Formats: sequence, structure tokens, C-alpha cells
Amino acid sequence: MDMLEIVDFTDLTCTNLMIKLKILLSKQVKGESLKFYATREQVDNTCSQFASQNYCVHWAQAGENQYLVQMKR
Amino acid sequence: MEHKKDIPVKENGMPPRSFFFLSGEATPERVHWIRDAVLPPAGRAANISSPRYSIYLTGEALISLADSRNAEYWNSIMQEAGVDVIADGEEIRLHGLAGHLHQQYPRLFIPGEGKTGEELSFWHTLVVYLMGGDPVIGKAGFLLCQGPYMSRTPVYMLRFLKSAVEQGIRPEIYAYLDGVHAAHLDQKPSEFENIGEGISSLSIIAGETEGEGWFGACSRCATARGYFIKDPDTGTCRPSSCIPAIRVRALKEILERFNAFHPILAHCCGGTLPSEKRMHDSPYPVLNILISCSPYMSEWTFGGLSMAVATAMGGMETRVLFIEQGVYALCGDHTVFPEDRVFNVQEMIMATMDIPMLRYAVYTPSLEERGLHASSNFSAILGITPERLGNFLFGQAEGITFPQSRMMIF
Repeated sequence: MDMLEIVDFTDLTCTNLMIKLKILLSKQVKGESLKFYATREQVDNTCSQFASQNYCVHWAQAGENQYLVQMKR
Repeated sequence: MEHKKDIPVKENGMPPRSFFFLSGEATPERVHWIRDAVLPPAGRAANISSPRYSIYLTGEALISLADSRNAEYWNSIMQEAGVDVIADGEEIRLHGLAGHLHQQYPRLFIPGEGKTGEELSFWHTLVVYLMGGDPVIGKAGFLLCQGPYMSRTPVYMLRFLKSAVEQGIRPEIYAYLDGVHAAHLDQKPSEFENIGEGISSLSIIAGETEGEGWFGACSRCATARGYFIKDPDTGTCRPSSCIPAIRVRALKEILERFNAFHPILAHCCGGTLPSEKRMHDSPYPVLNILISCSPYMSEWTFGGLSMAVATAMGGMETRVLFIEQGVYALCGDHTVFPEDRVFNVQEMIMATMDIPMLRYAVYTPSLEERGLHASSNFSAILGITPERLGNFLFGQAEGITFPQSRMMIF
């Protein structure tokens, strides 16, 4: 998967998203951000947990219940 | 280590108490490693501080008692002074095993045989044991991973939770994987106990006696099976064809219930009992998830790993032990193409090995008996020998002790 592509993960459940992100981040080129769309629930339940696990995580609202999340190691 | 405690001896000098609860098939391989777990390591005699084990058997696990391939293991287990084996009398009657088992295993305790009208049931006995006379715990849960009718696990769940409610304990259901089918509306089995009605009745009874129960179904599993669908107008999901007693919830929300120290059963599980002291001193129990099935033929492996990742990311010390057929997850080089539409289990394991609260291990006899070796990608995974299995499952590993452990076999 092209890491520069903005992927829509809003249909994934929180646990699936968590595992998918771990796999994608493990393949990520150092310094490059993973960008994807997530829901508010995903941001609260999953993305925020990565912030406490030494990942750099930012998000900004992009639509109704849609957030653009950027994440890198 | 934040969790380190100088247990397992309780304040009153009683040894720690650990248990297995088995309702599914207990193969000779499984009974063998259970024996390894409960018998003291070679050269060390049982003493006052050695753990006491209770092994509760119902359903298909009872058949293992009649299987001559297991006789050596069960005999050695039951000869141990510190081990009690308790078998479900009602299910023994159903399977026609009573005479055989009384003769072969005189130390086998069989509550609920119906010899006297005042006899306590297997389930009552189990609830009393699990609660340990501790009124503070107040609730009991069941992780339901199998659907009604194809499996009797939902029946056992209802018997357990009904018995808990009768003893003033709040019931909790955590429906996961195929267990979410128990929430289906309008079940109408012609011959079998109606599980949907059973859960609804339990909810009503619990509400009348000890405050509402807590019945949740995993949203991922419910979505996959059509019980939680997206509303195109609002973009949010809502339950579909579900009984009102069970609410669809995020797995994270369900697993937060595991932070408390109440007993949680699954179709095959175990753990240690908490003490009052432990409830005050320690943050969370430790969760051991045993992966016992091959990786892709069912959802067991993915479900077990998903749960482990979720609990570890939620801050609970979680350990995954690959055992029995589960060791195939670590062998070879799995190749998954996008059209396969499955998670590559090996990728999943490798990507999550850096989660601080998650540790992977493999039971080395399961590899050896199959003539297998773990892939070099997993050379860092801890190997557990029979001598270390009991400590690993019931509180200790690498010198670290935990206040309470839970074990779920997937």
C-alpha cells in the first residue's frame, strides 16, 4: 500500500484498526507519515492509544464524524 | 515492574488457589499439559504454600475421563493431595458415564448426581468456589465465543450465571466471535433450550434481585455477522435483530470489564482466585490467552490475538501462549494475498511484538511433538517448558509474580 495515499479506515472497528495500523506502521519508511481517515470513536479509542506508545499522532476534523489522522514512529 | 507483588501466599496462610474449567474437548495432549501445569516440578514436593488446584469438568471434557488414553494423566492428577477434580453430575448422567467413573476414579467429586434431593449442583459448587466467600467481588462473567445449538456452551453459561444470580451475584456476559449469535432475536429451537429467552430471563431475574446484569456483544463480531449495521443517513451503527438484553459494544468497552477481579469463565479457561488484599493492592489481573487452534481454519486464532492486542493496548498485562495446534501460527512463512481477505497471522504477531504489555510465548512440547520449529522471525519468543508451565499460567514467569491471573483457551 502506498503510504502517501490517504486511506479511509472509517468502516473498521477499533480493534481491527489497531492491528492494521500496527502492521502498516511496522512497514513504514522512517520519517514518513501514515495518513488515513478515522471516526471520532476510532480517534478516541485507538489512535490516541498510539500517542502513549511512542508514536507521533495528530488529527484534524475533515468532515462530519471524519478526522484526518497522521501517524509516524 | 509495577505489578510485582510478594504473593501468592494469602494472609491467612492458605496456599493460593488455581483452577481449570473445561467444557470442550480435552484431548490427550491437553490433559497431558494440564497435568504438567498442576503437578509440582520434578524434585519439589508439595508443601503448605504450594498452589491448590481445582479442575472443574463438564460437557465434552467429561468424556476425557472415560478415554483410556487419558487414564495415566488423570490418575496422576487425582493422586496429588493438592488437586481436586470436580465433575458435573448432571452431564455425567447424560453421557452415561457414572458407573465407570466411580470405579476408575474414587477421588473424583461428582456434585449434582441426583442421589439426594438436597444435593447441591455442580454449578452451585463452582460458583461458591470461584467467589471464595468474598462478598466484595459481587459479580461473575462469562466470555461466550460459541453460538447456540451447534454448541452447548451457551447452556453451560446460563447454568453458571443463573446459579450465580441465585447466590446474589450480578451476571455479566461478554459475547465474542460466534457467541454474538446468542443475541439473535426470535430464536425458536424445536428441541433445545432457547438461549435468547434464557438470556432475556436472566436479565430480568438479575434486575429483580441484584441490580441489572451487564450483557455485551463485541461490535466487530456483531458487524461481521449482521447484528450491527450502519445507518446510511447518520453514518452510525445500530443493532439489528438483537434481543434487547444484550447491547452491542466496542471490544475495548467489553474488555474494560476484565480490569475488575471477578471470576470470568469461558468454555475452556482457568486462573487464580483473587484475595481481598490483591483487590486493593494491584491494578489489574494478568490475562493469559492460549492459542490452541491452527491459524486460518476458524476465527479462534484471530479472535484470541485481537483480544490480546486490545487488552495489552488497554494497559493490562497480557500473554499469548501458542500451544497444541496453535503452534502452526509460528511455523513456516505465511503468504497472504489481498484476495485471501484474511489477516496474515504472522504479520499480526510481528507487528505487535513491541507492545509493552504484550508478551508472546510458545509451549515447546507442542512444537516438539509435531516435529516443528518456530520460524526464525519468532526466535525471540519465549519457550515454555512443562516445568515452567504452571508458573506461567498461574502467576509467575521470569520471576515476576502477578496478583491474579486469568486464562482463556482459544
